[in-house]
Amino acid sequence: MRVRLIYSPEVVEKPVLAEIIAKTGLLINILEAKVNAQKGELVVSIPSTGKRLEEILAMFREAGVRVQKVTKVLQIDYDRCTSCGACISPCPTRALRFGPDWTLEFDEEKCVACRTCVNACPVKAITLL
Amino acid sequence: MKRSQREIRSVEEINEKIKRGDAVVLTAEEMIKLADSSGIKVAAKEVDVVTTGTFGAMCSSGVFLNFGHSDPPIKMTKCWLNDVPLYKGLAAVDGYLGATALSETQGFEYGGGHVIEDLVSGKEIELRAESYGTDCYPRRHIETVITIDDLNQAILVNPRNCYQKYDAATNSTDRVIYTYMGTLLPNYGNVSFSGAGQLNPLCKDWNYETIGIGTRIFLGGGVGYIIGEGTQHSPQSGFGTLMVRGDLKKMNSRYLRGASFYRYGVTLYVGVGIPIPIINENVASTAALRDDQITVNIRDYGVPSRPDLRPIVSRVTYADLRSGKVTIGDKEVPSSSLSSYKMAREISEVLKKWILEGRFFLTKPVEPLPRRREFKPLRIRRKELRVRDVMRREVITAKPDDEVKEVARKLVAKGIDHLPVIDRDGRLIGIVTSWDLAKAIANDRNVLSEIMTRKVITAREDESIDVVARRMAQHNISGLPVIDEAKQVSGIITTDDISRRLVGRRLTI
Repeated sequence: MRVRLIYSPEVVEKPVLAEIIAKTGLLINILEAKVNAQKGELVVSIPSTGKRLEEILAMFREAGVRVQKVTKVLQIDYDRCTSCGACISPCPTRALRFGPDWTLEFDEEKCVACRTCVNACPVKAITLL
Repeated sequence: MKRSQREIRSVEEINEKIKRGDAVVLTAEEMIKLADSSGIKVAAKEVDVVTTGTFGAMCSSGVFLNFGHSDPPIKMTKCWLNDVPLYKGLAAVDGYLGATALSETQGFEYGGGHVIEDLVSGKEIELRAESYGTDCYPRRHIETVITIDDLNQAILVNPRNCYQKYDAATNSTDRVIYTYMGTLLPNYGNVSFSGAGQLNPLCKDWNYETIGIGTRIFLGGGVGYIIGEGTQHSPQSGFGTLMVRGDLKKMNSRYLRGASFYRYGVTLYVGVGIPIPIINENVASTAALRDDQITVNIRDYGVPSRPDLRPIVSRVTYADLRSGKVTIGDKEVPSSSLSSYKMAREISEVLKKWILEGRFFLTKPVEPLPRRREFKPLRIRRKELRVRDVMRREVITAKPDDEVKEVARKLVAKGIDHLPVIDRDGRLIGIVTSWDLAKAIANDRNVLSEIMTRKVITAREDESIDVVARRMAQHNISGLPVIDEAKQVSGIITTDDISRRLVGRRLTI
């Protein structure tokens, strides 16, 4: 599950993520990070589901971190998309690829909403939700 | 490959078969399969026509438009469609709209290619025109709305389409670059390529035995014609091109798409399909060429030189590129296309259908295309400023173990802002600016090596001023040490030096 963690100025200097990783032993992977003295925003991938996932999200909330589940992030307008491929190799997480008939396919799970493909698309077929 | 061979069938015979409904037409992909399974001889005997297709960004495209005369009439000297300027060095109400012309209000977001797509889709377009007024054309201004149906003619005339193949692009530098080959990630982060390879029309008649002036083709979803070699036609090196024309009114916006390349500009994606009559075995064998037989260079677009001078970092085939990864040195690099293979395939299928339904007949060219053409670069005959003409040669340098205060005094005394730091052998190892020194003094740092920037952006003496000015703007810095191959500092160039030398000259960055 991909989750966006939003740190307020009060908690931005605390090692919240490190503590939770140490406590749970889970391999939480950082996909994207923007942190400065005022605030922090991380997109992480948490390798668990169901009740266990909710417990972990609760740990972040208790530590003062806002939690947003990242579900649908990108929309491809297939009326505009020509399946040219201009978005594929620039994608840092390999979330875009060709299907067997050379139609562009998108893997929601891998996407970190970095916008690279939005800019790379020559016909403006990709929007970030 | 050799030309000339015993003719198996003529174009006239093929057209007779199309009329009768018994022509054998395969797409280029189907031809490849047949040749692989049954051999070229059998394929040449059985197949009458191979259809091809390509769908990619083709910047040298545009449309001649005739607006008709208003009353009172106007001799348009300037004209815009949706704020995109047309070329108006033609008669009163004729104009040429080029695919790469930028909107004067929307910049890279909208341009000539988009207007062409919108015209073909039947959308309303704002027409604005100006004139100085004459006795015969008294009107000086027009602001109105048109659609393609209001125009007398809308003729797509593309000076260069349908490249036989195209060098692929990568980027060796440490920052993302945005090019006409798309987004190129740093440190060879990706490779981008263009062209339909084994479906590409000019790859399928490699020796120009059937394609020539007058060849009827699929163009933008309608019917078009080849009217000659394209600009920069260079068939001897596998970079043939075509000039084509067709009636825009009969085209389809599925196959003509306005496009924007981020931080580069606008263009038009054009769909082209050409039927290849299998007149002999030689044509059959080129029509059966596969992606793995068509080689492509990968060039480093991080080097800001003209295309043929960008270093070749790898040689691959279209099959390698289309597999999604290629190797550069010992690195595996993701690759993807800018042109749509899916659409290219669709075009080859549509053209096949047209021929099978007896709606499209083949033509014999009235003249072949040249098989050799010189492709020259533009030589600059006037002297242009290079770094060596502008840089200052008396450079004050420092050593890494110099004291901050001492160095600050030196800067103030000499009135300079940039101080290259060199090692014992005179090699550049860092740089400090007056700002770095101010910060160091405020923070009680004592030695230069603690505060200097170690990753120095530099210039070379023979580089053009435009390239160096752009580099400074990109890194948001105001001075570069000039170094030679041995990293010895020979001078320094700053934005001040450039602006002082260039007063009165236009500098484009």
